[in-house]
Amino acid sequence: MRNMRIALAGNANVGKSTIFNALTGLSQHIGNWPGKTVEKAEGKLAFKGRSISVVDLPGVYSLKPYSQEEEVAREYVRAQKPDVVINVVDASVLERNLFLTLSLIRMGRPVVVALNMVDVAERKGAKVDAKKLSRMLGVPVVPVIATRSIGLEQLIEKAVSEADKGGKCRPLREKSTEKVYADAERIARECITLTIVRPQLEERLDSVLMHRYAGYFFLVLAAALMFFTVFSIGDWASRILSGGFSSTKAWLSGILGEGFVSFVLLEGVFEGIAAAMSVALPYLIPFAIVLAILEDSGYLARMAFLMDTFMRKIGLHGKAFIPMILGYGCSVPACISCRIMETQRERFLSAFLVTLVPCAARSVIIMGLVAAFVGPEWAAFLYLFNMLIIAVLGRIAFRALPGEPMGLIMEMPSYKIPSIGNIVKTAWLKANSFLWIALPVIIVSTVLIKLVEFVGLISPISGLLSPITVGWLGLPAIAGITLIFGVLRKELALVMLAALMGTADFGSVLTPLQMMTFAIVSMYYIPCTATIAALAKEFGWKNSLAITVFEVVFALLLAGVAACVLGAFFF
Amino acid sequence: MAPEGSRAKVVRLSDLKGGDSATVLLVSGGRAARGRLMEMGLTPGTKITVRHTSTRHGPMEICVRSSCLALGRGIAEKIVVEVSK
Repeated sequence: MRNMRIALAGNANVGKSTIFNALTGLSQHIGNWPGKTVEKAEGKLAFKGRSISVVDLPGVYSLKPYSQEEEVAREYVRAQKPDVVINVVDASVLERNLFLTLSLIRMGRPVVVALNMVDVAERKGAKVDAKKLSRMLGVPVVPVIATRSIGLEQLIEKAVSEADKGGKCRPLREKSTEKVYADAERIARECITLTIVRPQLEERLDSVLMHRYAGYFFLVLAAALMFFTVFSIGDWASRILSGGFSSTKAWLSGILGEGFVSFVLLEGVFEGIAAAMSVALPYLIPFAIVLAILEDSGYLARMAFLMDTFMRKIGLHGKAFIPMILGYGCSVPACISCRIMETQRERFLSAFLVTLVPCAARSVIIMGLVAAFVGPEWAAFLYLFNMLIIAVLGRIAFRALPGEPMGLIMEMPSYKIPSIGNIVKTAWLKANSFLWIALPVIIVSTVLIKLVEFVGLISPISGLLSPITVGWLGLPAIAGITLIFGVLRKELALVMLAALMGTADFGSVLTPLQMMTFAIVSMYYIPCTATIAALAKEFGWKNSLAITVFEVVFALLLAGVAACVLGAFFF
Repeated sequence: MAPEGSRAKVVRLSDLKGGDSATVLLVSGGRAARGRLMEMGLTPGTKITVRHTSTRHGPMEICVRSSCLALGRGIAEKIVVEVSK
């Protein structure tokens, strides 16, 4: 039997990826803000002995090619001719969603409407008559609640039977936007029964959180809360783990004794695992959880709204704040999420700024080194100073890359109580990717550096870099080598430092000024290899290289000056 | 109500305050921005309500066709509306 293909299409943030994950068991990134899915994802589903491939298309508002996503969605439906299109519709925003539904039906592929979020709509006082809607549209309509997997079985059943029927194939001529919206308005009016509900929690929340003054107070409060949550959980876990690992190491060295094999196993493999687990992981997991809560709650879009005025000063608009916040997690997805910006110029500008945002790996260095051994207030200072740097560089880049910025147009998502399942899954995925992707790199790097140390090459290599590391930055000579490893993954810079100095108690081997300088260099000195690759993929090698070279020069200048100023006045 | 209150008042969307209602008359601006606004439902004749405004140069949030849209100041200036009484 031929393989059946189902495409999921719909507006941004209506639950396509949630349905996709539920159907295929895959883990497409989900969150509560429009524009998460930028590329189509494909998965497989077994249904009644048939193998069905499911394609999750990026969210679009129409099939007119105004943006990359619309191009992707339209071309897929037109050229790839999926056997059936499941149009996911947000029942609480029915009228606007029906615009795409009507355009999709005119493309001539069999369509099944998944009427999602019927629970949200009812909470807002709107009851949608699915039968009537189906009659008026002339296609099947299945009410579902994707977050609780309600109605998905019936949805697939319906989609498969529509696909088997085959049916219409000739696309109809496009109608004007006004005409289609007039139809959508009429259908929505007929199918919705409105009831009066008392003023909602959402309205009251927004009147505080989006208030022109109070809103900023809560924005700063939220940021501070995030910072201290991550730091206190990370610091606590880090202390417990590093204590555990050092006593285990003592016990192991008693068993393994002396010799080359024991040296490689203990100083390389074990020390690598210990440093990764006790220095990096304790901060990475809380960070992932805090970001997932932020994304899921719907507050992220409010932050973008509040920051619009500031972002415009650097030639962008509020939406660019979303990739920047995601940049605190990891620069790679953050650079890719810059596609939510409308023009290539805005995408490049925001991606450049995103690479300057300290990602979770760099936060490992800020928290594990500066907050833990110099003081949390100095770590907070580094974050605030970073924002200033981004604002200044953004302003300069805006001048260098002139162009009229397009204004903010963004749909505001409803607030949602973050789903525990989604948060646990995010943390689990983060831990998993750390264990299977980062840990091997860290272990190999530790073994490598220990071998370099064993054959006595550490001092020649560090000596080569010492005019910069020692002379200009005032760091210990071996910092040069760890910074080279940091290009692979930023947290490696600190992990290697622990491995080479033979202790994770940085306070005993570095001065506070050295820790500050080291953190500043690590924050800016180069995008990691994965980010350089992502930048090249999005903007070409030339642009990626330009950002890389700029950041190397900039970081060295900044850190050198910072070392002088901090040394003269504070340390 | 004063007599002039019964006459239709035509202003830019950016001039409205929180809680105001109006009908879209015209969307000007570049092709891309206009296309995007139209496909999100801001076609001439559509009723809108202002949900939130911010500072003088800041964005505003409006309700259109049961959805909530955040619009930057520059965008809101390009939308001409007739204020509802």
